[in-house]
Amino acid sequence: MTKRLPLTVIGGFLGSGKTSLLNHWLRNANGQRLAVLVNDFGSLNIDADLIQSNAGDTIELTNGCVCCQISDDLSLALIKILDSAELFSAVVVEASGVSDPWRIAQIGRADPGLLLDGVVVTVNADSFLAQMADPMLSDTLVRQLKAASLVVLNHCDLTTPDTVQQVREKIARIVDTTPMFEARHAEVPLPMLTGLSLPAHDALPAQAAAADCTCEAEDHPHSHAHSHSHGHGHAHGHADPELGAGLSHGDIFETWSSRPTRIFSLADLKDRMKTPPSGLLRLKGFVPTGLPDQPVWYEIQFAGKYGSLRVTPSASLKAGVVAIGLSGQLPRKLLADFFA
Amino acid sequence: MTTVVYPARKIITMNPMQAEATHVAVRDGRVLGVGDLAELASWGPYTLDERFKDKVLMPGLIEGHCHLKEGSMWDMHYLGWFDRRDPLGKVWAGLRSMDAVVERLTQVDANMTAQGKPATEPLLAWGFDPIYFGGERMTVDHLDRASATRPIVIAHANGHLMNVNSAMLKLAEITAENEVEGVVKFKGGAQSGEPTGELQEPAAMFLVIRKIGTAGLLAPMTEAGVASFAALACMQGVTTATDLVNKLTPHDCTVLENVLTNDACSVRILPAFQAFHGTHGAALGAEHVNSLMPRNSDRLRYGLVKMMLDGSIQGFSSRMRWPGHFNGEPNGIWVTSPEQFEADFETYHRAGLQIHTHTNGDEASEVAINAIERILARAPRADHRHTLQHGQMIDAPMFRRMASLGLCANLFANHLWYWGDQHYEMTMGPDRANRLDACGSALAAGVPLAIHSDAPVTPLGPIFTAWCAVNRITPKGRLLGESERLSVPQALHAITLGAAWTLKLDHEIGSIECGKRADFCVLEDDPLTVDPALLKDVRVWGTVLSGRVFEARKV
Repeated sequence: MTKRLPLTVIGGFLGSGKTSLLNHWLRNANGQRLAVLVNDFGSLNIDADLIQSNAGDTIELTNGCVCCQISDDLSLALIKILDSAELFSAVVVEASGVSDPWRIAQIGRADPGLLLDGVVVTVNADSFLAQMADPMLSDTLVRQLKAASLVVLNHCDLTTPDTVQQVREKIARIVDTTPMFEARHAEVPLPMLTGLSLPAHDALPAQAAAADCTCEAEDHPHSHAHSHSHGHGHAHGHADPELGAGLSHGDIFETWSSRPTRIFSLADLKDRMKTPPSGLLRLKGFVPTGLPDQPVWYEIQFAGKYGSLRVTPSASLKAGVVAIGLSGQLPRKLLADFFA
Repeated sequence: MTTVVYPARKIITMNPMQAEATHVAVRDGRVLGVGDLAELASWGPYTLDERFKDKVLMPGLIEGHCHLKEGSMWDMHYLGWFDRRDPLGKVWAGLRSMDAVVERLTQVDANMTAQGKPATEPLLAWGFDPIYFGGERMTVDHLDRASATRPIVIAHANGHLMNVNSAMLKLAEITAENEVEGVVKFKGGAQSGEPTGELQEPAAMFLVIRKIGTAGLLAPMTEAGVASFAALACMQGVTTATDLVNKLTPHDCTVLENVLTNDACSVRILPAFQAFHGTHGAALGAEHVNSLMPRNSDRLRYGLVKMMLDGSIQGFSSRMRWPGHFNGEPNGIWVTSPEQFEADFETYHRAGLQIHTHTNGDEASEVAINAIERILARAPRADHRHTLQHGQMIDAPMFRRMASLGLCANLFANHLWYWGDQHYEMTMGPDRANRLDACGSALAAGVPLAIHSDAPVTPLGPIFTAWCAVNRITPKGRLLGESERLSVPQALHAITLGAAWTLKLDHEIGSIECGKRADFCVLEDDPLTVDPALLKDVRVWGTVLSGRVFEARKV
């Protein structure tokens, strides 16, 4: 089976920080070879020393990432990337300021070559309440929020804690349990943005259900799981210089993993994906379903609020599930009960 | 310096000083004089060309909102409900049942096989619209009857849906497992849970587009496609048309210039630069358009700018004011946010360019009017002639504001016929459907008016469009807003001088009078004397473009 390329969609109004988020991610890609599709190069602010080549609609970066201008048709831009999928570890699409990112995200669920890794919607905490009060804008904003698997409350430094609290409450009334993250300059820890920052299932400890690991996601050897699939040398050990300042991932995230030994019911898995336990940010893995002597293997993937199950060839698979959540919030017991 | 004098049965000049005449003299591609033979003979020696002596001449018709794609759609196979003429002049009968659709596809597949095309080459078709089939949905069961082996892809008329056969499903790896809601599945029966072959919205359609690549709808502009457009224009008496959204890439400009600098080309084209979706910052875009204008020639005029605010009414994606959709659907979408629109519009406006803005729903029209009012206060500019395109739900108060701001309207009169019943029953309800494309209110308010087809959304044909605005009749026989009807002379004005005004070409084209381009629409029948209810049946012989005569293709 060809590798499925994780797809992340970044949505949000003009001025909410989509481009800042992309710039942040590109600067801290840490060995992830991202294919980034943007509407307009104009606002991207890539450090000059990071640019390897610039050929019209495509900018190649020295860290292995590539930025493409969507120009007119997202389908054509995406097809180009998928035709050379082996060069990339993930694709990130910037939705236009007024579009519904869910329409793009669905491509990640539809295409056999893609895997929806998340819909990140940025919100300008400083102007959100005014935008919601404008009937010409509020419905667009609500549509975007409802599509989100992660809401980034950006520009929190530009407003008062009181306002941020009001914004949080208002958003929670719209999106219920979708995770929210308060940020300034769109600095969001990578494990919240992408499942690439989780250990791969085949890098799990060989034994033990519920093998705990207080993971430092990026600056931990787990990340080597990615390096061998794209032969990229310097994936390990790069602590994120910006995130490092005052934000140790070890402090804000915890992971949980398991090597289930049982056979699952597909219906149960589907139910679990529809009503995920709160506190779970991401989960991925491979599990067998059906009859013990003739198991059908499924790739399971969950991000923020979207779950996906796809049949996958069983050759050389070992069951394994990895999950990540904010420290102290990961529903370890529920996960252990289900995936044991 | 030769002068040709054409006698005609009647010349409808659209020049109020001399509304009708019997002779027109042409020199250097321009109108030298209009009148009777004695008046024209006073200019000196001439050649009398009597080929139009039994015809009726009008100014060459002007389509202010269409797309060159009208020509290249015919690279695919037509499956529409209504009769439609192809660039060779053949009329394809509308298909009124699934069996008829299957029958045509079967023929096409057989032709492809007979032409030696491999069974793997997909059959692409367009124009199918389930809205007319009363709830019956097309499935693989229909399409597999046409071919179980050759991939078949049918793009629906609304652009949001596709139907494919089993061979295409297999090629695109679309199975019962697919989780996307846009992949429609059978409910019940032996095939329960399996995909029906109907694919809704971009994600599901992407799976097919990925396999067939840039064939069909996404195909780049070609010289053959532009030539096909010119042939269709000639059949409809059109001498000037817009391509009302064009990226104007180097490739696009080369294609346009190659075709349109050739004297054998029968149409003048005004491509409008696509100033949305962020391919250029607005400042760069304005610079690009201004840099192209020195390359203008008679048949190619760069300079228009196209912006877009909302979606379509029948697709429930236009932005509507209260009370919103008649059937309760949520409000539509912004293609450009109001804030971005105002900023970009101002940049193009300050660069001296003329901007055509797509606004379908009345909220989008109001946003445009509000923005332009503020921009004009900050940056006044005489005679800008910015135009609202479609403007289907604009009411009298908005038209009065448009008049005071110097805005023009190009209304989508063909909607009255093609979707009038759907607007009445589903999208906006009786009150607003009765003022759909309110041509009468626009003229009463003093707004310069053009009317259009938006081809290939509906077929190119200004006389048909005029018929829509004059009669306001729907396929179910409804009369939508009698007071909004245009008289035949008003409608003919809207497809000649009215459209010319919205393109800033009224000094050059739009009427037959001394000094203007010798652009004629040559008719077999007199539109001013036929029963207005039959205006659409007026026959076109061909056109004259800057003095060159072009006879329309016939089969």
